[in-house]
Amino acid sequence: MIKDITIGQYFPQRSFVHSLDPRSKIILTVMFIVLIFLCKNAWSLLLMSAFLIAVILVSKVPLRLFIKSIKPILPIIIFTTVLNLFYVSGGTTLVAWSFIRITTKGIYTAIFMAVRIIALIMASSLLTYTTTPTMLTDGIERLLSPLNVFHVQVHTLAMMMTLALRFIPTLIDEIDRIMNAQKARGADLESGGLIARSKALIPILVPLLVSAFRRAYELAFAMECRCYQGGEGRTRMKKMKLGLRDIVSFLSVSTCIAGVVLLNKYFGSLI
Amino acid sequence: MSVTVLKTEKLTYIYGIKTPFEHVAVKNINIDIEKGELIGVIGHTGSGKSTLIQHFNALLKPTEGSVFVDGVDIWQDKESTRNARFSVGLCFQYPEYQLFEETVGKDIAFGPKNMGLSSEETERRVRTAINFVGLDETYLDKSPFDLSGGEKRRVAIAGVMAMEPKILVLDEPCAGLDPKGRDTVLSLISEYRKNTGSTVMIVSHSMEDVAKIATKVLVMNKGEEAMFGTVDEVYSRADELVSMGLNIPEITSVFLKLKEKGFDVRTDIYTVEDGRKELLRYLKGGSAK
Amino acid sequence: MNSIIDFENVTFRYDEQEENSKEVLRNINLSVEKGSFVAVLGHNGSGKSTLAKLTNAILVPQEGKVLVEGIDTADEDRKNDIRRKVGMVFQNPDNQIVATMVEDDVAFGPENLGVDPKEIRRRVDESLKAVGMFDYRLHEPHKLSGGQKQRVAIAGVIAMQTDCIVLDEPTAMLDPRGRKEVMDTVKRLNRDMGITIIFITHYMDEAVQADRVIVIDDGRIRYDGTPGNVFRHIKEIKKIGLDVPQATELSYLLKNDGIDLGDVLTADEFVSAFEKLRR
Repeated sequence: MIKDITIGQYFPQRSFVHSLDPRSKIILTVMFIVLIFLCKNAWSLLLMSAFLIAVILVSKVPLRLFIKSIKPILPIIIFTTVLNLFYVSGGTTLVAWSFIRITTKGIYTAIFMAVRIIALIMASSLLTYTTTPTMLTDGIERLLSPLNVFHVQVHTLAMMMTLALRFIPTLIDEIDRIMNAQKARGADLESGGLIARSKALIPILVPLLVSAFRRAYELAFAMECRCYQGGEGRTRMKKMKLGLRDIVSFLSVSTCIAGVVLLNKYFGSLI
Repeated sequence: MSVTVLKTEKLTYIYGIKTPFEHVAVKNINIDIEKGELIGVIGHTGSGKSTLIQHFNALLKPTEGSVFVDGVDIWQDKESTRNARFSVGLCFQYPEYQLFEETVGKDIAFGPKNMGLSSEETERRVRTAINFVGLDETYLDKSPFDLSGGEKRRVAIAGVMAMEPKILVLDEPCAGLDPKGRDTVLSLISEYRKNTGSTVMIVSHSMEDVAKIATKVLVMNKGEEAMFGTVDEVYSRADELVSMGLNIPEITSVFLKLKEKGFDVRTDIYTVEDGRKELLRYLKGGSAK
Repeated sequence: MNSIIDFENVTFRYDEQEENSKEVLRNINLSVEKGSFVAVLGHNGSGKSTLAKLTNAILVPQEGKVLVEGIDTADEDRKNDIRRKVGMVFQNPDNQIVATMVEDDVAFGPENLGVDPKEIRRRVDESLKAVGMFDYRLHEPHKLSGGQKQRVAIAGVIAMQTDCIVLDEPTAMLDPRGRKEVMDTVKRLNRDMGITIIFITHYMDEAVQADRVIVIDDGRIRYDGTPGNVFRHIKEIKKIGLDVPQATELSYLLKNDGIDLGDVLTADEFVSAFEKLRR
């Protein structure tokens, strides 16, 4: 279950999208997310979706991985869709029964919300599928480096992110192991009320924390042995360079934004 | 008269069914384990031995086949499944990483309490268990986090022993210990079995360790039962064990190599003392010729 | 003799405040020759891990000096020079890998040293080839086996172009196959690249493969010599709580029975000594 979370998973492949500079990819993803929320009618929504699918095809990451990434948040999508369906009023009333009232605007909003959330997840998954965690944190570090002027320790933050990404799978395995060990000692993790269940977590959380601290301590030693002294004077094996590809990508996303704005104007707003 | 305490029938377990990672971890295992035996389970990483033992106390449910504890199918109803948790005590690799209570006494009591035992009975079991692992009762009030690595390991093992399982299963109980710590743990396991008459299984990479204490040996290879028999029966097939990538005791390989060079010696030797006797016999016999 | 690490009258205790707190190491004098392969044996708590940590300035002795190619480890300003010369590999393979991709992890050390990106790339590829992990360079470390992780850790050290690698029980958590992988890799690096190896272990079968064995007990050096010389003291070594190779023990027992096979360390040596005796 925990293992289904796909954020931070990289899908190795040679593609146009993979080869983009991570900095551009981060900015482009943010631009695209804005774009998702700009869509006001069916036509612009269609254009946005078509663009997203086109990029996914170019990335050569199998579509089923994106479907898998949506699975864990399906309940949220259903919840917001239902909520919008019943609570947004306006337009023509289609159903009016007791306190339930479904309107055309409600239906539109519900559909729009669902498509937007799905597009949002797919776009951010596209970023993590096509960028290694190291490149991602490096990209963030460089994008945020102007903040160094304000004495924000950007390098330290990026390092923390890298280490978190590195240790998440290790700690998930560890949780599995500890849970099995305590279950073997008769720990009941599945039944009882809220208090009983939170109490049952102690035998798992304490060993997990102890082990996380031990790991942190050993890791700090190991990093020191490899001459780690923070960001100063550090070089990088993988250099980042903006190229023609990045310019092409910026142009295409910008064109898409222009297209959406145009379609919004031309066909009017549905929601 | 022998009584079967644990039995598997056509036990098969497949990981990640219907995913790209589908993998048969154990395949068609049929074993009968008799009361009071000390079974050594050997096989290299990925041979399925860890998956197999997690079936014995119902942590894993077989994809196919069944597991019987005292003749009862542990998956026939909820009650039986719960009973299996307690009648088969499973001690995982590096068990010291499961310690969590403020004191050693409380930590050992965790299992018995989960079984719903009275506080007197729990108390009694905690004291018995701490003695089993060769630590005195002053340890009960100490914090488990202040102990040495070897002591932590013993406390964690005591935590499983305190449940007084019919079958005690230990996964690599000596992993990471130094020779002294390893010998201590092996001898306390052996003592435990003698004193309680319970059945014990230990999973190990070390054929030397298994040779020291086991009565029977189960060899796993590629998810299948490769051999199951007495220590003599299994260790006499040393060449097959080598071909499975297992490290046979060095002393055994000495005799295999002597045989290869044309010396007419026995090859079912797995302790140094037996080796000495065999060579003395050979040399005497040789000089008589 | 051309030494790389020298311990001069080194005494170490963890609690610096208390004058009479227990000494973990007492008056250690030790010289490690360049290009040698030294195994350090001792049971848990004997002080062998402390000895390892003293070699690259993670710990600094209260009394005496540790010199790495003549540099005193107590010299704060030269810590990085020392760590560049003496790299460390630890017991738990998971807790020393920093990056989420094998090659990025190997690059970590040289990056910290401010090496030019092109040169880092070259070193990373070379180091990964030296430990036989080049094909795994794009893999995620947590999906590797224990032995493979340790080899990545070793690559990370040699990418810093260290002269000496100190391995602190690198095989304690591995299965037999992983142990062999690590041992073979280390031996190859010692032989082909002339890297000095200090290998801390409690496995005898590993120690016999070294040029020199040092046995530590209760903070002191008990034995120091070739494996043959050290393992000759079977009774004493067993008393300390360590093992002796089974072949050695057998030859020792036979000696008491009047059959002298000489110093024997491995099964092969035993067999050839026995052959000689019978011919």
